[in-house]
Amino acid sequence: MKHLNNKYPPKWPLQLLRWIIKKEYLEEIEGDMEEIFQDDLEQFSAGKARRKYTIGVLKLIRPNIIKSVFNFHPFISLDMLSHHLKLIFRNIKRYKSSFLINLIGLSTGLACVLFIFLWVTDELSKDKFHDKDDRLYQVMHNLPQVDEILTIEPTPGILAKALEEDFPEVEAAAVVSASFGDEEVKGIISNEELQFKASEMYVSKNFFEVFSYQLLTGNSEDVLTDKNAVLISDEIAKKLFGNTKNIIGKSINWDEGRLSGLFTITGIFKKPPAQSTQQFDVLFSYQKMFEEYERLHSWRNSDPSTFVLLKEGVQLESFNEKLKKYSIEKSMAANKRKTPENSSIFFLQKFSDRYLKGNYENGQIAGGRISYVRLFSMIALFILIIACINFMNLSTAKATRRLKEIGVKKVIGASRKSLINQFLLESLLLTFLSLLLAIGLVMFFLPNFNVITGKELGLNFSMSLISKILLISLLTGLLAGSYPALYLSRFKPVSIFKGKINASIGEIWARRGLVVFQFVVSIVLIVAVTVVYKQIEYINNKNLGFNKDNIITFPREGNLDDEMDSFLEEIKNIPGVIEASSFGHDLVGDYGGTTGLAWPGKEPDEVIRFANLEVDYDLIKLLGFEIKKGRTFSKDFGTEESTIIFNESAIEAMGLEEPVGQTIKLWGKDRQIVGVVKDFHFESLYEDVGPCFFQCYPGLNEILVKIRAGNEAETIAGIKKLYTKFTAGLPFEYRFLDEDFETLYAAENRVAILSRYFAGIAILISCLGLFGLASFTAERRLKEIGIRKILGSSNFSIVQLLSKDFSAMVLIAILIALPISYLLTRNWIQSFAYRIDLEWWFFVGAGLLTMLIAWSTVALQTYKAARINPVQCLKEE
Amino acid sequence: MKKTKLGEFEEFVLLTVIVLQEEAYGVMIKKELEERLKQQLSVGSIQSALKRMEDKGFLTSEFGEATPKRGGKRKRIYAATSYAHKVLAEIKEIRAGLWASMPKFGTP
Repeated sequence: MKHLNNKYPPKWPLQLLRWIIKKEYLEEIEGDMEEIFQDDLEQFSAGKARRKYTIGVLKLIRPNIIKSVFNFHPFISLDMLSHHLKLIFRNIKRYKSSFLINLIGLSTGLACVLFIFLWVTDELSKDKFHDKDDRLYQVMHNLPQVDEILTIEPTPGILAKALEEDFPEVEAAAVVSASFGDEEVKGIISNEELQFKASEMYVSKNFFEVFSYQLLTGNSEDVLTDKNAVLISDEIAKKLFGNTKNIIGKSINWDEGRLSGLFTITGIFKKPPAQSTQQFDVLFSYQKMFEEYERLHSWRNSDPSTFVLLKEGVQLESFNEKLKKYSIEKSMAANKRKTPENSSIFFLQKFSDRYLKGNYENGQIAGGRISYVRLFSMIALFILIIACINFMNLSTAKATRRLKEIGVKKVIGASRKSLINQFLLESLLLTFLSLLLAIGLVMFFLPNFNVITGKELGLNFSMSLISKILLISLLTGLLAGSYPALYLSRFKPVSIFKGKINASIGEIWARRGLVVFQFVVSIVLIVAVTVVYKQIEYINNKNLGFNKDNIITFPREGNLDDEMDSFLEEIKNIPGVIEASSFGHDLVGDYGGTTGLAWPGKEPDEVIRFANLEVDYDLIKLLGFEIKKGRTFSKDFGTEESTIIFNESAIEAMGLEEPVGQTIKLWGKDRQIVGVVKDFHFESLYEDVGPCFFQCYPGLNEILVKIRAGNEAETIAGIKKLYTKFTAGLPFEYRFLDEDFETLYAAENRVAILSRYFAGIAILISCLGLFGLASFTAERRLKEIGIRKILGSSNFSIVQLLSKDFSAMVLIAILIALPISYLLTRNWIQSFAYRIDLEWWFFVGAGLLTMLIAWSTVALQTYKAARINPVQCLKEE
Repeated sequence: MKKTKLGEFEEFVLLTVIVLQEEAYGVMIKKELEERLKQQLSVGSIQSALKRMEDKGFLTSEFGEATPKRGGKRKRIYAATSYAHKVLAEIKEIRAGLWASMPKFGTP
């Protein structure tokens, strides 16, 4: 069928042409266009001919060929326009309160939408800037565990090369071994006297071919050929040399463990943009690292990340199938296993998807940040709808006030269309006024928003942003205005003047339904906020099995490497320091793991992955781990090279009775178990506690110092002095350990804070609407109230009468909202291994709170109405 | 030569209409001009110029035949008015005069 259609010009351009061209020219021009199209069909492909046709139609838009703008729509005729505007402004002046309610509601609503829009756009643009983004993948690594599959980033150091050689589909494969993201361990880069901390990556030669980071100087093909080459960012270059010119070929000193040495600058790159999840200051050749570390040469160890650029048109699914078979083969050969079980399996995930979809369940991609993006988009939509509902309700409720206007207009001969236009214009005008206010609000609050979200968002008015904002506002205006426009324009003049307008049951229900909807959304948000807040509080205060308070931590750097022993000893002498030690990791989830343990009674095929924690003497004591059996590592026992300590989970997993004193093998060497530590949470609380062991090595990467509460500032100043002395003037950058834990749940914390604000705004806008509605009802029932008062009604019973309606609506909203909110929050909370129970009062409390807020909103209005002097409202007429 | 206001592109179109005689309708004018100017033109630009000149009194037009290739739509055949001929002649004369009074340079 498609082929037949190709003989004809594309549909919508043709329709556009017929719509815009002046009638008297239409036949000729349409014929011309058709003839040219037929000629093009003989010369070019159907697609190209159709494209040319479309472009041709667009080029026809010229003032003397198309219809005059002023003849398009009756409401744009200037006279009518000015008439509508005059009426709109009079209405605004007359009903200031409802105008203000609508303005405040819509502008806060739009401001929320703008904020969320900025945030979502930023989230969605992460890592998307690479030129070959659509073909750029990261190799992920599935490791089978006892009862699940663990998905990790590290891959064997020889994987990239093997992929390039064995898979024709692979255009290039890059190795990146890096301090990724927010990892704190940095090396020190120095040029004679000047020295700075910098985060580094070791990358393969094709790095700049695969990724699109900007190289300012140097040739992207050979900057990394020499294994002693270094590339530095423009920022580091300016710090070290004062400028970015003439520094190619100069040498810099690099200080970080085994890879320290003198390197030659071969290029300068522009610092990665904020949209990049890879952040680095210096780049070294992966070759250097590869030669230094034997373990990178084996399929059995995983360390660097591997990135793959597939050729155009390669299907991901079939490639992953192939890769799966390949990795099982490699894994079986490397581990000399005969069965494919327990093999490491590699698969590709699109690199730019990893930021938003970074969670894995049993080897499958299972969401991640994307759920927050969705959540906030939903919230934005709901807040906007709530604001629109206010407008709808207030304008339809106020219909009675404008009936005469509508009636007179209709009698004079106004068409329904022109009335619809008038009301739509009114809502559009209001929306655009609100938009201006909203932009002001966004500009004002953007710094605060950035603090909460931890981003650096800005409101740069690019064409695409402006057009999107305008589109959002246009839709909002149409959404808010369509129902009132259709409703108000429908009245028949005869019944208006006879006074026979009674809102039909359906209309009243529609209005009530909308109010109920507003409150359902508000209540769900309140419950959600409570639950998120409680869960975060629970996590922050949960007993982790060790004490993280009053501990500061900083990396071992510079000259400290050689003098750790005396440094730690001297720190302990500072008054206020309780204990000092070092650790091979940070405490929030950067652990190596190994399966290389053998113990008495191990099944030959049993694979258990143990977290491997390297600690200094006294660290177990410093962190307050509870020793269940045996002892901790201590200098009193000399070197602890052949001892090991497990946690309870590990002992259980191995099934050892009476563990202390037994000997196990770690990487083929005998180790004696000297102690067992009570289980503690060494990873995020999303996870259960897993098996782990401690080994003792003196002088590790991270220094931890426990200090006495009270005069921290003085103690830290003492440590700083010592640190500066030992490192010859490196800047002292320390963190409190409990802050680290807060950043571990930073995403949740942010969601908690943001949702609190948005819930507040939602309820505020809902109440504004209720306020407007209540004041209107009170006003309309003024005569009824007057008569009731004359007949002896008390103020209280009148308040009761007026708030009955609203109470019923809010009650219904509560009934609908509670099950919804229960389901939603239960869903969210189940992603945590350690979670709070959903208490009944979260829900009842939210309901009561809403009821209370609604009542107090209405009360003011109804009480004012109830107190009125009946004479005043009955004297007229 | 006061109120003629014939733009450069309009002049090209007008001359083409005269050259094409009975064949002077939109598509032919476009093809002919594209060939001579060696550049792609849009229907919009040709039509816009034609309509403008019709308004100014340089052109008259009437419907011609309809072909199946045009989807059964009639052509509109353009013809230059005598006023147009006069203005074109004037322009040519002014140009010729200017060329003639240009000081000779470049050629030895």
